[in-house]
Amino acid sequence: MLSFEAVIGLEIHIQLNTHTKIFCGCRADSWGAPPNSNICPVCCGLPGVLPVLNRIAVEKAVLLGAALDAQVRDESFFDRKNYFYPDLPKGYQITQFDQAIVQGGHFDVPMPDGRIVPISITKAHLEEDAGKTRNDVAAGVRQIDMNRCGVPLIELVTGPDLRSAEEAAQFLVRMRQLLRWLDISEANLERGHLRCDANVSIREAGATVLNPKTEIKNVNSIDAVRNAIEAEIARQIGEVEAGRRVSAWTLDWDDETQTLRKMRSKETEADYRYFRDPDLLSARLTPEWKRAVLATLPELPLARRSRFIVDYGLSAYDASILTEERALSDYFEAAVKALGGNPKTVANWMMNDILRVLNESNATASDLAFKPAHLAETIRLVEAGTINRATGTALITKVIATGRTPTELIAAEGLAQISGDDALQALAQAVLDENPQQIEAYRKKPSLLKWFVGQAMRKSQGKANAQALERIFLCVLPPADV
Amino acid sequence: MTLSLPLPDQPAHAIAESVRTGAVSARAVVEATLARIDAVDGRRPSTSPGPDDPENSRRVHAYISLQAEQALERADAIDAQVARGEDPGPLAGVPLSVKDIFCVAGTPSTAASRMLEHFVAPYTATPIARLQAAGAIAIGKVNLDEYAYGSSTESSAFQPATRNPWNANCVPGGSSGGSAASVAAGEATLSVGTDTAGSIRQPAAFCGVVGLKPTYGRVSRYGLIAFGSSLDCPGPVTRTARDAALALQAMAGADPHDSTAAALPVPDYSRGLDQGVRGLRIGLSPDYFRIRYPDPTTGEIRDTELPPEIVAATRAAAEALARAGAEIVEDVPLPNTSFGIPVYFVISRVEAASNLHRFDGVKYGHRTQQTIRDLRDMYRKSRGEGFGRQPKLRILMGMYVSGAQYASQYYQRALRVRTLIRRDFESVFDPQGAYRLNALLTPTTPTTAFEIGAVYGNSVLMQYADLLAVNANHAGIPALSMPGGFDAGGLPIGVQLFGADWDEATLLRIAHTFETLTADAAWRSRRPLALTQ
Ligand SMILES: [Zn+2]
Repeated sequence: MLSFEAVIGLEIHIQLNTHTKIFCGCRADSWGAPPNSNICPVCCGLPGVLPVLNRIAVEKAVLLGAALDAQVRDESFFDRKNYFYPDLPKGYQITQFDQAIVQGGHFDVPMPDGRIVPISITKAHLEEDAGKTRNDVAAGVRQIDMNRCGVPLIELVTGPDLRSAEEAAQFLVRMRQLLRWLDISEANLERGHLRCDANVSIREAGATVLNPKTEIKNVNSIDAVRNAIEAEIARQIGEVEAGRRVSAWTLDWDDETQTLRKMRSKETEADYRYFRDPDLLSARLTPEWKRAVLATLPELPLARRSRFIVDYGLSAYDASILTEERALSDYFEAAVKALGGNPKTVANWMMNDILRVLNESNATASDLAFKPAHLAETIRLVEAGTINRATGTALITKVIATGRTPTELIAAEGLAQISGDDALQALAQAVLDENPQQIEAYRKKPSLLKWFVGQAMRKSQGKANAQALERIFLCVLPPADV
Repeated sequence: MTLSLPLPDQPAHAIAESVRTGAVSARAVVEATLARIDAVDGRRPSTSPGPDDPENSRRVHAYISLQAEQALERADAIDAQVARGEDPGPLAGVPLSVKDIFCVAGTPSTAASRMLEHFVAPYTATPIARLQAAGAIAIGKVNLDEYAYGSSTESSAFQPATRNPWNANCVPGGSSGGSAASVAAGEATLSVGTDTAGSIRQPAAFCGVVGLKPTYGRVSRYGLIAFGSSLDCPGPVTRTARDAALALQAMAGADPHDSTAAALPVPDYSRGLDQGVRGLRIGLSPDYFRIRYPDPTTGEIRDTELPPEIVAATRAAAEALARAGAEIVEDVPLPNTSFGIPVYFVISRVEAASNLHRFDGVKYGHRTQQTIRDLRDMYRKSRGEGFGRQPKLRILMGMYVSGAQYASQYYQRALRVRTLIRRDFESVFDPQGAYRLNALLTPTTPTTAFEIGAVYGNSVLMQYADLLAVNANHAGIPALSMPGGFDAGGLPIGVQLFGADWDEATLLRIAHTFETLTADAAWRSRRPLALTQ
């Protein structure tokens, strides 16, 4: 029995989060807008209109190129890809054919098993999106929504370097992380910000040949990527084992039924008659412009993760979680800085408290009203014994609700920990006075010590120092029998 | 002297002066122009075929549609501005005809094609909007070859097509035939045309008016229904060089809607007009006194000398300028001249075919009323019915030479030859070069206006009407055609000037000087036949 390996390359369409479309002044994001409500003469391809390039889209491509360690061309060109389709209003798509802005590069993808797999990037180019077509077969009509016409896209093409459906899925997870990290795209797969086509072939394990590949269209979620590729690998192995050849088909993934459907044979590929779009000048990056854009390139996720491990002594697990999102990692570092050290304690609070609050409120760390300085202040108060840990946790929601600082809230609401011996002794005495029978029980069952502490804590409305109470009860309770 | 002329025949600068000072109302100017249109244009402008009236053959038929009411409203607004002591602009009250290849908000913008017969533009092209902002009043849209594909205006879907005001049996030239004819016949004081291979200059030459193709990028193309996007230039058609300067002044400059419109300062074109030509180096090239073209029957390449009258008119212009102090430089070589038309055949058609893709019957324009089987069937029928013969020929040719297996042989090669043509001009205009020219002087056309039907139908021969003009479009340089006399048949002869990039000012200055030098020549006093009938 032969053993096979898969050879997978991805083509990803990335919707950029620019404010306006790539060649006109319409808003780029039409999410939730009624059909054809976010359009203008330019993106509808009216007679006589001309495209004007959105510089921000170029800047985002430059950032992506730099993050992928790619060659960013100082001069790139726009071409017309000519074909007819109702949702392509000009009858051609403006794209970058042979002189794309981003050429080459690679992307290191950490896998769940700890490997880091470098994936080569063939190219990434800028282009405009088409509209949406809805076929109402029953009514016999085709409806076109042009809101999406002219939305800026980057099409990113990888080399055939992925070896399993899982690797492809991880690539997409990490690419989504990177795009958000660089603020290039919202990278929301459900909203079509990332659309993926997968090229799949198989070969004998260890071989270097490239066999005919199939292209799977419309794999638009992480699970769909995993499932569609897995299904296609299985299908190809089945074909080969049955003595048949794999033909270069284009396949459509139906997520509902989890099945692949043949769309067409590749042999009938259209001639798009590409030529330079005479309506646009080349995208020329002056050295000053390029420098200014590259100056905004942040530290990348993997680098930051290793730095957190080395510089702050975080566990690999904590470091991974805290570098999931750029805003979260920025929050963590700001809190460490505000506290003046103690990164492990900060990480502990991040993992236990901040992440919970973020999840509950569905917010990102940068939007949180409980700022890194508030966290540092809270940690300081707990460490000083002014409040206990539980009060610290409770403070987070109070700060968010009131907009006041932790210190202000402690003073205003009397949240300071009760730790004076007299006060604590009075509390303990009151508990003993009310529960003589429990004192008897304690003689037989010393674990009731916790119960006494709990009663006293309740009396103090959670403000008492629990360790001090325990000490006091040990002194005042009669010795246990055992 | 100008004041003695009827209002429709006065130059733009005189009309604007009268309107701005209140001597004449803008309403009077517009009414006089509408009356002139009524008198000479023939049946009411329309896109519907009318009855075959023998009277049609004597009329100009420049307009496809008139916007008389809006024009009168605009005139009243300008008069009100004058009454309030405000300045309505340097073109105040000047009647403007617009080649119907430009979108103007609220007007049918048809490109002379059935495809767009009922398309009403929702926005206004930048050059037109700028002329309007300068006070010009758009009177109507004038005829052209369908999508500007032609050199005679005969291919318009809207017949009767425009006729030459000097001889109604002849074409006005094209594709801006309606622009040139309307200005020649006083049906507009100023027109905006487009020039892709001579489409402003050739009709200007045929109709005896001034036509200026500016440097590519000098005037925004926004709102111009594209033909060959890398070649198309909007420009003015006027009766005098001074009017061309005024019009260009209003139209020129950067445009946030057109990234190919250059962000360069626009000089004052009127200021230098009277400086004369002393010291200017003006070249004559033997390559522009003969034409090389394929014989229509054998296909053999032939060299032919130009008609002696056209050569003589060009030489006479050179001599007049020499007497005024210009230095005439003979024998300037432009070795790649004869490649202009073959290269144009390829490049313009690749761009045209792609530019026509948007006319698919989906969003606007003609959609078939026949029953359709599927999407492809709808495309085929809509485009088959909506496009005339010229667009179809250009689509076929454009698709062929840009196809994957032919592109390197035709399209890519044409682009390389285009670079060589550009270098011809760069070397003769180079201030450090051997020729150091300020301008080249050539005939505009190989013949004067030809008879209606004489050439139409032969796309190749028709294309050679642009042989002497097209290379300015390949090179992107400015060029101007001005009246240089008449042939024995009483048809105007055009003389052409080429200039260096962005140097329209020198061309306008030479043209203005030539007008002044020949002001008293007998041929200057001739009037188009259409005005005397
Ligand atoms: Zn738009």
